[in-house]
Amino acid sequence: MSTKVALFATCLADQFWPEVATATVKVLERAGCTVTFDARQTCCGQPAFNSGYRDDAKAVARHWLDVFAGAEHVVMPSGSCAAMVHRYEQLFADEPGQLARAHELIGRTHELAGFLVRVLGVTDLGARFPGKVAFHDSCHGLRELGQREEPRALLRQVTGLELVEFTNGATCCGFGGTFAVKFPELSTAMADHRLAGTAGLAIDAITAVDASCLMQLRGRLQRTGSNLRVLHLAEILAS
Amino acid sequence: MTHLDAEHFDQNARAALQDATLRQALRRATDLFAERRARAIGAVEDWEALREQARAIKAHTLARLDHYLTQFADQAERAGVKVHWAKDAAAACRIVAQIAADHDCHRLVKAKSMATEEIGLNAALARADKEPIETDLGEWIIQLAGETPSHIIVPAIHKTRQAIGALFVDQLGIPPTTEPAVLADHARQRLRAHFAQADLGISGVNFGVAETGTILILENEGNARMTTTLPRVHIAVMGIEKVIPRFADLEVFLRLLPRSGTGQHLTTYQSLLTGPSPQDGPRELHVVLLDNGRSRIVADEAMRSTLACIRCGACLNACPVYQQIGGHAYGSVYPGPIGAILSPQLDGHAGATTLPFASSLCGACKDVCPVKIDIPSLLLELRHRAVLSPPPHQRRRPFLERLGFRLWAFCHRGPRRQALLMFLTRLLLRVPGVRRLGPAGAWTATRELPAPPRLPFRRRPEARR
Amino acid sequence: MNDRESMLAALRNGLCGTTAPPLPPVLPSPELPGKDCAERFATMLRQVGGACEQVRDLAAAARRVAELLAAAEVRSLAVSDAPELAGVLEALPPTIRVYGPESDRTTLLAADCGLSTAQVGIAETGSLVLVAADERHRLCSLLPPRHLVLLPCSRLCASLGAALAALSSPDGRPRSPTVTFVTGPSRTADIELELVIGVHGPRHLHVLLIELP
Repeated sequence: MSTKVALFATCLADQFWPEVATATVKVLERAGCTVTFDARQTCCGQPAFNSGYRDDAKAVARHWLDVFAGAEHVVMPSGSCAAMVHRYEQLFADEPGQLARAHELIGRTHELAGFLVRVLGVTDLGARFPGKVAFHDSCHGLRELGQREEPRALLRQVTGLELVEFTNGATCCGFGGTFAVKFPELSTAMADHRLAGTAGLAIDAITAVDASCLMQLRGRLQRTGSNLRVLHLAEILAS
Repeated sequence: MTHLDAEHFDQNARAALQDATLRQALRRATDLFAERRARAIGAVEDWEALREQARAIKAHTLARLDHYLTQFADQAERAGVKVHWAKDAAAACRIVAQIAADHDCHRLVKAKSMATEEIGLNAALARADKEPIETDLGEWIIQLAGETPSHIIVPAIHKTRQAIGALFVDQLGIPPTTEPAVLADHARQRLRAHFAQADLGISGVNFGVAETGTILILENEGNARMTTTLPRVHIAVMGIEKVIPRFADLEVFLRLLPRSGTGQHLTTYQSLLTGPSPQDGPRELHVVLLDNGRSRIVADEAMRSTLACIRCGACLNACPVYQQIGGHAYGSVYPGPIGAILSPQLDGHAGATTLPFASSLCGACKDVCPVKIDIPSLLLELRHRAVLSPPPHQRRRPFLERLGFRLWAFCHRGPRRQALLMFLTRLLLRVPGVRRLGPAGAWTATRELPAPPRLPFRRRPEARR
Repeated sequence: MNDRESMLAALRNGLCGTTAPPLPPVLPSPELPGKDCAERFATMLRQVGGACEQVRDLAAAARRVAELLAAAEVRSLAVSDAPELAGVLEALPPTIRVYGPESDRTTLLAADCGLSTAQVGIAETGSLVLVAADERHRLCSLLPPRHLVLLPCSRLCASLGAALAALSSPDGRPRSPTVTFVTGPSRTADIELELVIGVHGPRHLHVLLIELP
């Protein structure tokens, strides 16, 4: 019997980067899952929560819990959104009813790479991607979900792909949600520092598990005239 | 010697980004710090156990701080310390000035201390014509330059050797040099003249042991030893959160603090002072216990762990925001991630509606914190409070932002509303001028914004499942 | 209400109804690799820029002190009141002026070298523990540009924790109002994080480990 997965596409992938959601479906199906997409889904509430608007975040998070209540697994192509669902504990600390519903779902809410490796125990998805790729650790995937190895394990199994590391460790890309537009110069300086960590690596692409980091890095690369490719992990795994 | 305004963090940050020398100095320093710290903790097998132990000790102590502070004060008094209680910065400054006056002290020397920076002690004493000479090399450089520190443990981290060399030529009339060893030697000679005459020494406190009334001061240069040995009176200013229960607890903190701060196994000197020692040191030892907002933080369960901080500075070095702009932009005594949570809560509430937002929430600070303070969660809590109930006289969040999130939340409570919002957003983004306005404009000034695809995922065939 | 009472009352009121998490028991000190405390002490001390050598007994130490002082052209020596130093001082040439702990500050600030013992040595970190109640070495260990230390091997302990335990008297109170831990020569990295040795305290720290009591 195949594993049932409810896809949470995330707003960013849904609205701006649909290829990422499409690739996620493809990868999950390749891993033997049955994927459903509930069109009532909207957002996890992170933008409001991270900006201090907890009441607004709660309203959206309640809707999220309504949509995904009862799901066997909720999987999303984002470490940041998965981490946000884990933060529902903090958000609903004073609402026992919602807290109980959140608890129910938190353990079954996964970022894509974490789901594949930790839950399904799969690393080889038969993907091929010729080229040298640097993996960017998105902060929430790395630090809140503790997933350093999972995405790398998947990338190592991709035929033709040579995995390399940024020379400046696991530092933030500077996106940070509304941070990117509240402090645009600072955010951009952080992106430039992050990208300096690829200098001399002669890579063909950068990949990560979060569309937000990739939007930041891609936006900056394009503006500075670089034609370095920026791809979501799901896109590589689906290739 | 005043701070920038924390309420204008955005402008301060922008200015700092224009300073290429500053950014070069910061990059060099924070990279070096990270490397040294990694090497030092790599050699410790039980690092995580040590962090957990320190966290647990602090959590316990802070939740019973009334008890441990009483015990500390009683034990210190039993050992001959004169203990003073200062509910705020003004009271603390008044107490120190009064002790100096009572003992007819006129030549003051001072060892590096964040608590005395916090209360603005030098400025207060200067008004009584008793400004102390800073004796830590970095603090002395800052004092000569008429600036404020930009890092908790390396106050002059923002200055290059060229800048310091020029400062010494200008202020001390030395022959031109940029050699750190030569500059340090000039400092040694000059400051010795002050030490030879000093009659009052002022220091901070790293740890206060409740069980014994002992205060502990860590340093590398020897100036704190001189400050606490040579003058006839020693005053130590101590935040009330510095108390730890047992003498034996010092081991865990001594193993964590230097490794996290400078990457040393142990700083060169630790002075453990339990009362005065008239035979070979000061005749009187005064400890000024400082509240200045701390009791309010202790009472605030969600934020209490802010006070577990042992001021190692590791979160500054690890912070990608601090790495870009340094400490001055925060406009508060405590910069970096710890400053962004601590300053808004202390008396004065510096930057309460700006500093908690000065972070991308990357969590690097939490990773390196030796006492495991969950700084991102505390930043989020303070953001919530800044929105909900900003302290008096602080700017509220902009009306448009409030309205925007209200509208955003309304539209994300159901798919049809969201579809309408996204339809309008996508439509708007196609209008050329719009991409230069508001948040979109902030983005597109330096980055490309992807053109919205013709169809979102949800309207594609592969979404029908 | 006085200041003490009002500050404590603020804390008490704020913590009213709070259940404190338990205070964890003290962690055991780490096991250190290698059995030989003297060797580890010397290695760690050298790592932080100190010098360390072993001598057989006090007589050998006295000879070595004289050699070191001559080599460094020391003319004035600040000494503590440790009785072990008596024999060492007798062996010194009369050209070296010796100043005891009661000498005035200016004299001690101008001395070429300090000489003392230490009460404990910590192998884990290469640290000296100076217990001021047992020996008047606060100034001679700090003010001159050199500090020469005689440390019997019998005073070495393995860890920081063991040293802290040794500092408490049976009633739990510290044995001395002032205790100083010294790990290597004075240093600073306040200018561009570049290490500079000897900014306020001694530039040279030289420990003679004495094998026989």
